[in-house]
Amino acid sequence: MTQPNVSRRVVSVRSGTGIRVFSLACGLLVSMSMDATSQEFHVDRDAENSVRFISQAPVEEVVGHTDRIDGYVLLNGERLEEGSPTEGTQLYLEVDLASLDTGLGLRNRHMRNNYLEVEEFPYATFDATIQGVEVATAGVFGVTARGLLSIHGVEHQRDVLCDVSARQDGYRARCTFTVLLSDFDIEIPKLMFLKLAEDILLELDFAVRPAPDR
Amino acid sequence: MMLKVKEILMLRRGLLITAVLFAPLGAQGQDRPVQWQRTSDATEIPITVFHSPQSANLPTAETMLKGEWQFEISHRFIPPFKNGPDALWGLDGPINNRLGIAYAVHDRGMVTLQRTNLNDNLDLNAKVRLFEAGRKSTPVMVAVVGGVAWNGDAPSLLDGSTRPWQYYGQLTANVMLGERFALGVVPSFLRNPLLNTAQAQNTYSVGIMGQLYLSPHVSVLGEWNISEERVGQEYDAGTFGIELETGGHFFKIMASNSVRLNPAQFMAGTPFSFDPGEWRLSFNITRLLQL
Repeated sequence: MTQPNVSRRVVSVRSGTGIRVFSLACGLLVSMSMDATSQEFHVDRDAENSVRFISQAPVEEVVGHTDRIDGYVLLNGERLEEGSPTEGTQLYLEVDLASLDTGLGLRNRHMRNNYLEVEEFPYATFDATIQGVEVATAGVFGVTARGLLSIHGVEHQRDVLCDVSARQDGYRARCTFTVLLSDFDIEIPKLMFLKLAEDILLELDFAVRPAPDR
Repeated sequence: MMLKVKEILMLRRGLLITAVLFAPLGAQGQDRPVQWQRTSDATEIPITVFHSPQSANLPTAETMLKGEWQFEISHRFIPPFKNGPDALWGLDGPINNRLGIAYAVHDRGMVTLQRTNLNDNLDLNAKVRLFEAGRKSTPVMVAVVGGVAWNGDAPSLLDGSTRPWQYYGQLTANVMLGERFALGVVPSFLRNPLLNTAQAQNTYSVGIMGQLYLSPHVSVLGEWNISEERVGQEYDAGTFGIELETGGHFFKIMASNSVRLNPAQFMAGTPFSFDPGEWRLSFNITRLLQL
């Protein structure tokens, strides 16, 4: 009477192990398939990156520049292709605002301390997802990203269009868009000789490379 | 039947374990990838005490960014305010005028060439910012200035010669008290304060300056230079006024009992007392440029 039970028990244990292995394998496959089809890229801090803002007021053009941009892109797929799936994609960029240089130390100080208040809000960020990928010109994709642009502690939903081209095993992206200072609670100085436009052109030019293997 | 129940239980347990084990990977797509991390801290904000490289007359420890130029025009109206509307409170002149140009050879160093019509004094000096600290507590900054002045219109001495050269050195130590008040002390040494004495002299002075920053663009300033008393330079020079600053300019409008502009002239003293009847209008305008 006990033998069958033992036998059944053995069988049941084997069967249970098999089920466990099977279910674990399923889980692994699901996660592996996500990992296999998604590729993470990081901003290549060693590359020549550039973030510029341009204020074209009637009297004077003010240009600020930094190379301190960081962040990542998560693609749903190994590589960028026309019509690449956009589900699960991510784009996160941040710019170190205290590093912006307008060419004049005094103007930098005003910008840092009085307008951007970088001690409190050290980064401008864009936290987005990719909405679409299309071929813009030969070798260049037009990538549209939609997300929250945060400057001076104020967030605004923005669509940003970037031209993206292949670079080594990664990409180079060039994005251009305009922001209104008033949208981000940045006061335009009203004193004479402070020549700053309400709309500021932002130009981002940065490289990304595949994230190192985990 | 019993086997099936056990198998179902095990399957459920297995799926639960799987879900627990791999849920973070799934959630990762909704949040931040595990791999990316910020690789460096945000850029440190430079220490600032006085905003301008100079107070009314005394040097601050502030310097400019490498490659920047600063142009200056400054006036000291010689008639005092008390002369009233007939002299347009001094604006009719005459005036002592200074034109200057400075260049930052380094973020910590700048050279200045400036000329005033008083004795045709041509001054060349260099300032080096030695030290700053207290980014998150009490900002302090220290600089030294060394200069030489040549007076093209130096008076003739008894033997018919002139002594047109002056030399000076200054230490300027600045501190920011609270968030708005900058204070500085400037001990100075000057060789040949009086161009018309038989022998060249040495003199020392101590300048004290303060500036209260009322807003990002407006501040009030004051300075006092304690100097040795001598003929023609009997009194300490005192100055107070208002400063307007923009992203590239400083405008200082002041009252002072001194009409001497260049360092070797100013630090030796003034012939006028600090009585309000001896106050005179003065202004400094500087413009920063990156050429």
